[in-house]
Amino acid sequence: MSSGILGKITNIDRRILYWILFVVLAVPFISPIGLPVFVTPTSQAMYNSLNSLKKGDVVVLGINFGVSAWSECLPGSIACVKMVVRKEAKLIVFGMGTTDVAITWNEIMSKIPAFGAGTYKEGDDYAFFGFLPIQETTINLMATNFRQVFTKDTKGHLTDDIPMMKNFNGAKDCKLVLSSDTGDVGDYFIRYWQVPFKVAVGWIGIAMNASTGMTYIRSGNLVGLLSGVRGGAEMEKLIGEPGSATTNMDSISTSHLLVVIAVIIANVAYLATRRKA
Amino acid sequence: MSQIYRKQLVFVLTAIVAIIMVMSYFFTYEGITPITNQIQTWALIIQLIAIGIGAISLIRVHYRTIQRRVPGRWFLSAWLLIFFPLLTLIGLVNLATGTMNPFYDWVFTNVYVQGGQTMYAITGFYIFSAAYRAFRARTWDAALLLIAGCIVMLTNAPIGEVIWSGFPVIGTWLLNYGQVPAMRTFLITAALGLIAFGFRALLGKEMGFYGGGME
Repeated sequence: MSSGILGKITNIDRRILYWILFVVLAVPFISPIGLPVFVTPTSQAMYNSLNSLKKGDVVVLGINFGVSAWSECLPGSIACVKMVVRKEAKLIVFGMGTTDVAITWNEIMSKIPAFGAGTYKEGDDYAFFGFLPIQETTINLMATNFRQVFTKDTKGHLTDDIPMMKNFNGAKDCKLVLSSDTGDVGDYFIRYWQVPFKVAVGWIGIAMNASTGMTYIRSGNLVGLLSGVRGGAEMEKLIGEPGSATTNMDSISTSHLLVVIAVIIANVAYLATRRKA
Repeated sequence: MSQIYRKQLVFVLTAIVAIIMVMSYFFTYEGITPITNQIQTWALIIQLIAIGIGAISLIRVHYRTIQRRVPGRWFLSAWLLIFFPLLTLIGLVNLATGTMNPFYDWVFTNVYVQGGQTMYAITGFYIFSAAYRAFRARTWDAALLLIAGCIVMLTNAPIGEVIWSGFPVIGTWLLNYGQVPAMRTFLITAALGLIAFGFRALLGKEMGFYGGGME
């Protein structure tokens, strides 16, 4: 009898698992828990780098994630851009990861009032250059000759005519790179901007990037790392503006706990049936 | 003559480009920078041409799928062939006028964004099901991996700290010190492997690099 129950537990129908997860994910949105988020040293380091920016410093934002990774990378990117705007630094934006960089940039701007109000002006304070493929070569080329890569912005203004671009021609004119991506673009910025030109690089990645990112944090190649939605929630806490990542953290809590409990139950059942066998 | 074009010329060109690019990275000779910039610009242009070729190839593949009436797939290919030229045309109009077309914006916001996010979210359900079925403590090594994985998960979730304040401490240690040496070893060996592969390709011992089939 008991082995029958244990057998059923180990071979539970996947549809039941899907429904349990669905309910566990949905409940916090209906009734928020609001558990506190502690700030990890890597997120704190990212905040410190952004906080040390001075008025007029140039920050490069590489949007190298598609809409599918919005839930993980977008909140952190928004929080970092808010800090850039707050510090009155200049922002250069482009993407090499996916072609939907424009829609992601529009989404970031829509969440920051300074863009809508016109206090942070295109051309004077920020420039958007859109998408280009071949990540590694492009980043390498941009490091020494930005104008050879982007001759115009997405609205057709010549790079030479954009006021904020007058004194910018590559890595040596950049204070901080924010690489927001789901893959290897952060590596390329480290390889061609950080190592030769000592430009500070911060990584806003999906949670899976944390293992690679930690390696670069320890070696001093990265100044900060926001890991997935958790990193975004930490940055929202640090800048004092809770957003979507903070909201999502309750679902992260319940779903992660569910996975851990499920794995424990499955293993107890597995070990019990193995012992009997 | 054709053999020279097919084989030797490719080898020579690859070798010249590789030597110039390696020199530009490791030596601070300014005179080489314009040459490397030019080569990289060519690479960028070739890549952009490749995107165009990819689009043509995509249309051909899906056209064939419709022609053969492949069960369960042909109507999806038909959707692609309807929307591909439609969105391309609207995109070209946008490019000419410099304005965002409301239809283009609507499709992106309500179809592409929602579809993309749903696809990504669905993987969470598969991961949960897979973790339940496959994450078994069959050996001591697997048990260690399982325990470490659970601790890191509870570190990432705020509820972990609520359950026990030790979870974030152990989890952060595992991320900072536990996995970094292994990941560093992996990155360095992969880089060394890439260098070895590069040399083998330059010496003509890796034929796959040149498109394969060259005897």
